[in-house]
Amino acid sequence: MKNLFCYVLIVPILLFQSVLTFSQPGAGQQFVKDNYTKREVMIPMRDGVKLFTAIYEPKDDSQAYPILMERTPYSCSPYGEDKFPGRLGPNSELMKEKYIFVYQDVRGRYKSEGNFQEMTPAIDHKRSNKDVDESSDTFDAIEWLLKNTHNNGNVGLYGISYPGFYASASLPNAHPAIKAVSPQAPVTDEFIGDDCNHNGAYYLLDNFDFYSYFDGEKNEAGDSYKSLFNAKRTDAYQFFLQLGTLKNANGPQYFDGKGIWGQTLQHDTYDSFWQARNIRPHLKNIKPAVLVVGGWFDAEDMFGAMRTYEAIEKQSPKNNNRIILGPWTHGAWAGRSWTKFGSYDFGSNLNEYFQNIETRFFNYYLKGKDDFNLPEATVFETGTNQWKEYPAWPPTNVTNTPFYLEDQGKLGNEKPKQPTSFNEYVSDPKKPVPYTNGVYARRNNEYLVEDQRFAEKYPEVVTFKSDVLTSDVNVTGRLKANLFVSTTGTDADFIVKLIDVLPDDEPNPDPNPRNFQMGGFERMVRAEVFRGKFRNSYEKPQPFTPGKIEEVSFDMNEIAHVFKKGHRIMVQVQSTWFPIIDRNPQKFMKIPEADESDFQKATIRIYHDALHPSNIVLPIMK
Amino acid sequence: MLRKLFPLIFLLIPFLSVAQSNPEDSAWIRENYIKKEVYIPMRDGVKLFTSIYLPKDTTEKHPILMTRTPYSCAPYGEQNFSPRLWLSHYRYYARENYIFVTQDVRGRWMSEGQFVDVRPFIADKKSNTDIDEASDTYDAIDWLVKNLPYNNGNVGVMGISYPGFYSTMAALSGHPALKAVSPQAPVTDWFQGDDFHHNGAFFIMDGFSFYAGGFGYPRPQPTTIGPRSALKIPTNDNYQTYLQIGALKNFMKLTGDSLAFWKDLYAHPDRDAWWEARNPRNFVGDIKPAMLEVGGLFDAEDCFGAWNLYKAIEKKNPSSHFNKLVMGPWYHGQWASTDGTHLGNVQFGSNTSFWYQNNIEIPFFDYYLKGKGDISKLSEATVFMSGANEWRQYEQWPPPNSQPTSIYLDDNGGLSWNAPVTKNDFSEYISDPAHPVPYTEDIHFSRTREYMDDDQRFASRRPDVLTFETGVLDNDLVLAGVVTADLKVSLSTTDADFVVKIIDVFPDDFRYPGARPQPNRGVGGSYPMGGYQMLVRGEIMRGRYRNSFSNPEPFKPNKIETVKFNLPDISHTFKKGHRLMIQIQSSWFPLVDRNPQQFVNIYQCDDKDFIKSTIHVYHDATNPSNIILPVLKN
Repeated sequence: MKNLFCYVLIVPILLFQSVLTFSQPGAGQQFVKDNYTKREVMIPMRDGVKLFTAIYEPKDDSQAYPILMERTPYSCSPYGEDKFPGRLGPNSELMKEKYIFVYQDVRGRYKSEGNFQEMTPAIDHKRSNKDVDESSDTFDAIEWLLKNTHNNGNVGLYGISYPGFYASASLPNAHPAIKAVSPQAPVTDEFIGDDCNHNGAYYLLDNFDFYSYFDGEKNEAGDSYKSLFNAKRTDAYQFFLQLGTLKNANGPQYFDGKGIWGQTLQHDTYDSFWQARNIRPHLKNIKPAVLVVGGWFDAEDMFGAMRTYEAIEKQSPKNNNRIILGPWTHGAWAGRSWTKFGSYDFGSNLNEYFQNIETRFFNYYLKGKDDFNLPEATVFETGTNQWKEYPAWPPTNVTNTPFYLEDQGKLGNEKPKQPTSFNEYVSDPKKPVPYTNGVYARRNNEYLVEDQRFAEKYPEVVTFKSDVLTSDVNVTGRLKANLFVSTTGTDADFIVKLIDVLPDDEPNPDPNPRNFQMGGFERMVRAEVFRGKFRNSYEKPQPFTPGKIEEVSFDMNEIAHVFKKGHRIMVQVQSTWFPIIDRNPQKFMKIPEADESDFQKATIRIYHDALHPSNIVLPIMK
Repeated sequence: MLRKLFPLIFLLIPFLSVAQSNPEDSAWIRENYIKKEVYIPMRDGVKLFTSIYLPKDTTEKHPILMTRTPYSCAPYGEQNFSPRLWLSHYRYYARENYIFVTQDVRGRWMSEGQFVDVRPFIADKKSNTDIDEASDTYDAIDWLVKNLPYNNGNVGVMGISYPGFYSTMAALSGHPALKAVSPQAPVTDWFQGDDFHHNGAFFIMDGFSFYAGGFGYPRPQPTTIGPRSALKIPTNDNYQTYLQIGALKNFMKLTGDSLAFWKDLYAHPDRDAWWEARNPRNFVGDIKPAMLEVGGLFDAEDCFGAWNLYKAIEKKNPSSHFNKLVMGPWYHGQWASTDGTHLGNVQFGSNTSFWYQNNIEIPFFDYYLKGKGDISKLSEATVFMSGANEWRQYEQWPPPNSQPTSIYLDDNGGLSWNAPVTKNDFSEYISDPAHPVPYTEDIHFSRTREYMDDDQRFASRRPDVLTFETGVLDNDLVLAGVVTADLKVSLSTTDADFVVKIIDVFPDDFRYPGARPQPNRGVGGSYPMGGYQMLVRGEIMRGRYRNSFSNPEPFKPNKIETVKFNLPDISHTFKKGHRLMIQIQSSWFPLVDRNPQQFVNIYQCDDKDFIKSTIHVYHDATNPSNIILPVLKN
């Protein structure tokens, strides 16, 4: 997360939920106040830097409790020992279970001392007390807490988004008291798949909004940050198009080339800056039980959830490591209720189901309460709207099946035989394809499940669709796109969208306040972008040779979706997705240095012939 | 002209609120009126079904207000009263004890005879078998004034849309009892600008949904039951459905060969004698009754007819003849509704429909049919000025102080009042019939009426839409009158369409008084009006008709040619702080059929004939594309 959504979305959800839970305003705060005592302390780290920490201990001191901790760059407000939040912990059941809840401002943020670093690089082998990272800060905090609270010696950590990263970062060389950790939508690798970039393509809209808030100046009291600038707008598409190049966004009126935003632009390849901020290589020899949580419709850190689970699974095979994936947006599982999203109606409150698992996870590992037999993977299957359990993730009983793009906009399992066949479109950076239909000032959080009929109407979007399915097609596992392309430019982006086309007679919801037209609805299931110059290496980008056919293959993470009988499977390919992604000048260069004059039209071809059979690989489960 | 649907569906919705606030009116009507259904014989023996609502009042004689319609004078049965009498402004006429007459035109519903769409007027009738809509109206009026008790011998006719056409035809009847006629959004020229074609381009969605939706079905016997569409096509997304059906030829396959007029449309792709016979403007000389043409600035169907019927009558009759024009900020028929406050997202600041009903229409008929009141103050043209949101009165339309002023397309998407000085400068786009520009952004099936003032931001984003805009205006820019597009273009193929859109770009911080700011368009949130690109006027020209509508000519690939055409008249103030934008594109789908972009018979060509065309719109010293705007001085 990253993203305002921690601040703007999650916080309100939590507050809102407590209001609902206790049915009257202030009741949540009252419950916390009645049942917990609060202390605010500065905990010293090994290098002398002190971190601001809020500790909530149960008033009932008849027994020792485990510690459940969240480390955050978004503040452990409300500040003041007489100020109480509407809820403690990741869900309200856990609050009622009685834990010592600890919130800590990470190094350099809010009321903590020291210098903040974006995604603090992990140091596996520390040489001195000056070698600090989030693992050592967590370690030192826990040391102090164990000595200074009435605890049972067990510690758990959790966090969503950026706090999810801090949960992950506690794992390498973890303090032995840490027994259970739940990284939820953890920021994991900001060049390859989370927040800042996906496959090297810059997430302009999110970065612009997030860093302008997050990276502003801290006030003296340390309880708030001043936004770097205030860019009012009603239409993000138009605003960013008029803003123009990244260079302009980096100008004095906006980021002035400084701060984290400036760093993200200086590092326009997968260089040591980004590699040092990839937590995955450090997730070795992990001891605490891990419960990774992610959302299918998480616009920020879906990658992080799946790839964190994967890294632990591969590098710490003996670890008690499990994953839960549901049809959530970023952090939506922490709210009180999740029954519908976009045009989806899940039929029940999925958060109740999830939060029950979360509660049992911490209760078992930190309190030794009950038992906990969660399978390796618990995933919500969209399309059929049901929870599924698998002994491995991704499941092993699937057949990776290429669906070939074909002539005449078809999609099928037959490898094309024609000697030449391609679709062609002109990608014009001055008229990029919008990522959403309509006028939105901020990111439309529903864009990942939006009806793609609007996009199909653009001449620079190519669409391929299967025949009507004669039986259900269960796609569960990892997706991959393999494109054979050429361009008249020397760089290009490729966005691949996997879409479920509903039947023409699909009924509309009743009531239908959003006025969804469900017949023929083209519901996006997954989309991913790839910046073409990284096709062979993220570290060493390479230009395209104009007109030369090249393969661009990339990973699209996992899904669990059933394309029902009577539906169609659709794939769309396009080269812009604006302003979610910055515009590629379509000329091989350092994009943050591009001038407006560098942005050029390119004629792009997507091939589907015998030698160049572009396809998307779907993991089909029998 | 898709009038059939409107009275039933759209007009009823606003009526309901009135029904609640005037619960006494329905009972009052039933207490004070009786209904009669009669067959009135025409001169050739054919009888036309006619519903008559007679006031019970016998203290004085009453005028007759008649509408002739192809959409039925339902409800049938003398016990069944039309709710229009108490739900619409008809109730004001009812309080004045007007006699209401509705007649099924020849060949429709319960009337005998054969229906002919926009039946040609016969100027020189030689016998009783030479009948037309004018003679049918004459015969009906004659029977009514001779047979209805307590009529005062004065007859008025009005009608909206297709009934507007019958109103025009009534005016040509020459019956001396006919004193006042109000053709409203009158179907006038189905090749040039109303309903089914604009400048020769086929309005496929309106045409197909209208004729194949039931209107065009044969009616062998008089009936009270309307036809049901037998079409089985997906009705989720008009764009997709119409694109999938493809070439016009394929639409004909779907309809079969029983829709006579649909076949006629296919048989007359160009403006020929057949079309001229169906253009009432050719026949409107020597009109006796007082005329009041009414129309909507944002009428998706018959905006052309309202402006141009007025102009034709003006031209062909002496200045002493009473002929007035009213244009409000309305969708098709909105002036007869109870809500004239807004259309789509755009607000008009007051209930313009009420104002019109009470200040213009009712006084007009009261004066001519009852001798009541004074209409000497009614101006020649009463035209709403959108943008400024006020009614304007003019002594002449177009106003004499409206100066045709060119605004030139510029490089870099600008607009300038000065002609360009650059050499060989153009904007380019590829028009791809496989991906036509949608006419509106939302997924829906029935053509919206709001597209006429919709936000065009969705179109600005497309690579096949050219956008030119002024800077922020320092002063109000007031436009009133005729708009002409004067494009200098070349294409890589032999035909193309050109759509020109005149757009008011609202300031970024714009919001209507009382509206709360809505930075995020959430569920149920109001539409984001900051930066709104309001379509004020849009029109299409089928390129092959650039020199003549009757003799189409191919383009020579890559040769620069002039495509000059009129848009419907405009009345809009671009307020200080706003911008003026012009968009140019070559498709407007599925409002308008796709041009194959080759010089072939579009009604007969195949799917494979539709090809991409690379289009250049020039804006240099030699070829300065420009839009001639009617700038109103002082």
